[in-house]
Amino acid sequence: MTVTKRALVGALLCATALGVAPFRITPAFAADAIKIGLTGPYTGGSSSMGVSMRDGAKLAAAEINKNGGVLGRQIQLVERDDEAKNEVGAQVAQELINKEKVVATVGFINTGVALAAQRFYQEAEIPVFNNVATGTIITEQFKAPDYDNNYVFRNSAYDTLQAGMMVDEALREGHKKIAVLADSTNYGQLGREDIEKQLAAKKMKAVAVEKFNIKDVDMTAQLLKAKEAGAEVILAYGIGPELAQITNGMAKLGWKVPMIASWPASMQSFIDIAGTNGNGVIMPQTFIEDKTVQKRAAFLDDYYKTYGVTKIPTPVAGAQGYDSIYLIAAAIKQAGSTDGPKIREALENLNTKVEGVVTTYDHPFTGKDHNAISRNMVVFGKVQDGKIVYANPEDAKNAGTVRVKEKSSN
Amino acid sequence: MTIFLQLVSSGVAVGMIYAAIAFGYQLTFATSKTLNFGQGEALAVGALFGLTLVPFTGYWLMIPLVLVFGFGLGAVVERLAVRPAIAIKSEYGWIMATIALGIIFRNLAENIWGRDDLPFPSPLPDVPYEIGGVRILPMEMLIVAGALLMMLAVEIFNRKSIWGKAVVATSNDIDAAGLMGINTKRVITLSYSISAMTAAFAGVLVAPVTLTGATMGSVLALKAFAVAIIGGLESGLGVIVGGLILGVAETLTGFYISTGYKDVPGLILLLVVLSIRPVGLFGKAVIKKV
Repeated sequence: MTVTKRALVGALLCATALGVAPFRITPAFAADAIKIGLTGPYTGGSSSMGVSMRDGAKLAAAEINKNGGVLGRQIQLVERDDEAKNEVGAQVAQELINKEKVVATVGFINTGVALAAQRFYQEAEIPVFNNVATGTIITEQFKAPDYDNNYVFRNSAYDTLQAGMMVDEALREGHKKIAVLADSTNYGQLGREDIEKQLAAKKMKAVAVEKFNIKDVDMTAQLLKAKEAGAEVILAYGIGPELAQITNGMAKLGWKVPMIASWPASMQSFIDIAGTNGNGVIMPQTFIEDKTVQKRAAFLDDYYKTYGVTKIPTPVAGAQGYDSIYLIAAAIKQAGSTDGPKIREALENLNTKVEGVVTTYDHPFTGKDHNAISRNMVVFGKVQDGKIVYANPEDAKNAGTVRVKEKSSN
Repeated sequence: MTIFLQLVSSGVAVGMIYAAIAFGYQLTFATSKTLNFGQGEALAVGALFGLTLVPFTGYWLMIPLVLVFGFGLGAVVERLAVRPAIAIKSEYGWIMATIALGIIFRNLAENIWGRDDLPFPSPLPDVPYEIGGVRILPMEMLIVAGALLMMLAVEIFNRKSIWGKAVVATSNDIDAAGLMGINTKRVITLSYSISAMTAAFAGVLVAPVTLTGATMGSVLALKAFAVAIIGGLESGLGVIVGGLILGVAETLTGFYISTGYKDVPGLILLLVVLSIRPVGLFGKAVIKKV
């Protein structure tokens, strides 16, 4: 048996064993899979966001792989749990870069973890893609002119944008007296700062600015202060469980004013703990579980079927996780290589339109702008009987229109 | 005035949660001069165990089962962590051992129930009662009543039953109690069992207002420890008063000073008590004869 024959037989055997069509094996088989890191909190308090993000990303990777992968290679997601802890996030980053040799990483739910971990990617010149974390500073940590190139990208709605929307919505509803409640973490306090700045820009001042801690169960003091100050609306910046304690506290005090929360009010834990008290709370969302658009319907059906659920625990995280993989894949394809700087360049100048479920990305990034989401793409979601629906009937009516990024909006 | 009363009532509810947990510290300290630093984990494991039972038994029937579970858990802690340390007359061994056991319990709980925080079904309606303008949730009343009943039950047990009298005797003078024929080792085990039982009970009591998870006890147990120090580690009445002081101080500071400084007065109080009356407000000053 000659060498060629032996090779052929071997290849055929492998192909049969893996169930791959023989004609496709030549390039796909020769090359290794493209490794992409996938990191987020898959356990603990913010796991509903992390798991939704991970599951969305896995769906996208599976779809891409089914269609032949990228550059003839399959995508392999390397999952790591950062437990929402800054130090674990930093460890995971180093492991993914040095041991797993990923070509890019997507993930990060918590702003603190993102800030602690992404400098390792910046140093290694590997693109890192924030698909859920919202701290405004995330994409600005390594921006020009201090750094030649910024390897941090994002397709979530950043805090300044969300805070602006929350303030504008409160004013649009005609509220003059605004109370701000924020948790004591980086996330909450940065958000509070953003809200206060937005108010100051409109020559206004919150009537009460209160703080609460993670795992606080009693919000009486905060709410009474807001109430005594005559607040007509509450802007709350925090994550699911504590936001729910605020609505429960209001119900207890028998004081009901509208509440506009930051996006984690769409977390499953908020819905579970707040119960009926949560109805009517609105929050900025990039994605609502709505099947009007065919691409979204397909994504939702696939998600429900694959994971055996009737609702994505945190829909925004699931959708953004899904899109982030498509964006990275498109960039790798355009770069024609898995070289970090080349992927970054491709991301900053994406020539092809990428159809995601949040939006269709048409030149989402530039050298200066690393945020894919612009304000016009974010809508208000509303909690209604355990689900997040469109808050404004107009948005629901226009659910069929995919909103694309406005030029130079960020 | 209504506002003040509202703040006090909410503070009392929070304070009774602290007191219920601190009571567990006090029980074992009285008999053995040791305490379980894994009290927060005992609370969490108790609540998680209760959560597993609720679908089968309902809330009220679940409680006795959780009590039994806590009772057994305490005995395990004492046997594994405390008795060996006492046996070799180690002054500090039990500290490390109970902390270590607490970590093991937490990891065990994370493996069994996962690391997610789970909602606990509330046994009572969420509609608050209004008394003179002050609004109180039924669940808050249940916490206060449940905690008081639990402490009362333990006190009655200590005063009336033969085993309880042995506990009191051991607390007063462990050597004399031993000479009188009391099996002080078993009394110490018993006190640990009762202590973990109260923690597990506190767990299912607070779970409907907090979330249930392996880490749910971490903050609570730390605050309860402060309460036990303020009130006095030897006094049952002390932990109730200490809990109420801390709980009310938190809500009042939150409203009248700033919600950002909510936790500060409690800690200041702790420092003041430690420097002026190290045994706590209700502690008995004991002269240690050497």
